[in-house]
Amino acid sequence: MTRDVLVVVECKDAKPRKASLELLSIGREMASRFSSTLLAVVSGSGLKDAADTVAHYAGKTIFVDNPSLAEYGWDTCGSVLENILRKYDPMVVLGTSSVTGKDLFPRIAARLSAAMVSDAVGIDLTGEGMKIKKPLYGGKVISWLAPKADSKAIVTFRPNSFTVADAGEKGEIIEEAVAVDGNPAMRILSSEKKTSGKVDLQEADFIICGGRGMKAAENFAMLDEIADLMGGRTGASRTVIDSKWREYDDQIGKSGKTVSPKLYIGCALSGALHHIMGMDTSRVIVAINKDPNAPIFQYADYGIVDDVFAVLPALKDELKKTREET
Amino acid sequence: MKVLVFMKQVADTEARIIISSDQKSLEVENKYVVNFFDEFAVEEAIRIKEMLKDVEITVCAFAPQRAVEALRTTIAMGADRAFLINSTDREADDPLIVSRVLAGFARKEGFDIVLCGRQAMDDESANVGPMVAEFLGIPHVSQVTKLTITGGGKAEVESEIEGGKRTSEVSLPALFTCQKGLNEPRVPLITGVMRAMKTQIDVLDPASIEMPFGPIDREASKITVLSYEAPAGRPSVRIMEGASPEEKVQNLVRALKDEAKVL
Repeated sequence: MTRDVLVVVECKDAKPRKASLELLSIGREMASRFSSTLLAVVSGSGLKDAADTVAHYAGKTIFVDNPSLAEYGWDTCGSVLENILRKYDPMVVLGTSSVTGKDLFPRIAARLSAAMVSDAVGIDLTGEGMKIKKPLYGGKVISWLAPKADSKAIVTFRPNSFTVADAGEKGEIIEEAVAVDGNPAMRILSSEKKTSGKVDLQEADFIICGGRGMKAAENFAMLDEIADLMGGRTGASRTVIDSKWREYDDQIGKSGKTVSPKLYIGCALSGALHHIMGMDTSRVIVAINKDPNAPIFQYADYGIVDDVFAVLPALKDELKKTREET
Repeated sequence: MKVLVFMKQVADTEARIIISSDQKSLEVENKYVVNFFDEFAVEEAIRIKEMLKDVEITVCAFAPQRAVEALRTTIAMGADRAFLINSTDREADDPLIVSRVLAGFARKEGFDIVLCGRQAMDDESANVGPMVAEFLGIPHVSQVTKLTITGGGKAEVESEIEGGKRTSEVSLPALFTCQKGLNEPRVPLITGVMRAMKTQIDVLDPASIEMPFGPIDREASKITVLSYEAPAGRPSVRIMEGASPEEKVQNLVRALKDEAKVL
């Protein structure tokens, strides 16, 4: 086993995802600490430009271009990744704790008998080896874990766990012609991508989230306008999803998505524990609620106690001004 | 047809978690429930049985003795049999070990379909489903929102993928991890609860099951838990002053820009 660090890059609309750039940034730091090389894998179809972007972070970018990788599958993409991991034999593999990451990495870890740590949020490189930070019980507890020193480790991180560093000098790009092995028991009949073009909820820097106090589905248009203005996304609490005002894809909380944007604004939501567990790691939390005793204020950095329907138009105007200034 | 369901008993959202003073262990308040996403798995198994009739549903947990209670809940819902593989004095921090044990049980029992939740609410790792499938050498689909057994040993499956949905055809045997939206888990009826009280739940020693998928002893764990700590708290909230909503918003945006520097 080498001491190299390898980042598995995920792409969206033929560009590396922000979450992957974060991993390349921390990966570069790790590799320099381990006096080793940062490797990156860009595999898919038509991702030449993405590989070029990635090469400005990684020492070596392993690039696999194959039309049968256009659609993700644990079988096809997994066979390619397995081959690369066997050939380059890195000590640490970094991936994103995304829908794809959660589907792919455990299978590869089982295949390679690698230590698997999922859904981590940070890393401590100050001591010997590495300490991985992983929240448990919806963030009530932070655990620090270490993979056994002699074992290959696969670690997945939540988006927004690290800051994206500046691109550096361009490293080497190695084109690998790896055979793609599909599983004959799996056949994709159709795929439907809904949110293409929009940033994913978990990757968004800005989230404005509505609760039951938004009163009706159509009132979420106000939140969508603000989210679009800020290049972010609209989220929703569980009661909103249960009332069918928004789709499950937008749900933030224990039974939905865990998010940690730079700025989270909770509108007319009380702050039930299962919701808090899904957004508590946001950098800055703002709560807007007319009830000064709403639990959400216990978790917020800033609060506005007022009617959300009076606040939102003013908020939109003010945010628009700051956008125009910059 | 044999349907296996893997269930995890997890701490309730409201349960208090106490970190020991040496930061090496956790004490969880005795409030446990069936993992939220595993309820969809149990419900789906019951629906498959209602549809195809000749189906046996077996639920299994690799857990300490206390999980018998959660297994009883699944019987009360409509599962036929339940087994507890006793994890006391075993390693449960390494998902590979948990998965080897469950895969060993599945291999011994035999199965056509394996169902589990998409992830556990306590660690949110989402590892065990795909790992078990890998050990068993069967295909899997994660985050399933619709499952139809189509006959001819196949299933048509709708699942969530990055930013969308996918429909696939999968040859059985296969493993599916269940996502919210798949179904509405039923609340057990009193007759089900009565039956669950009377059902014998066998407790198995992992050593009694042949496990050809790799070591399961504590030394084989590839993960070391170094310590636990409480999350960093936030300073208390600053409520924005102002005579009108507009003024409050102006103060907020100024604070977000100048102090918090997030705009």
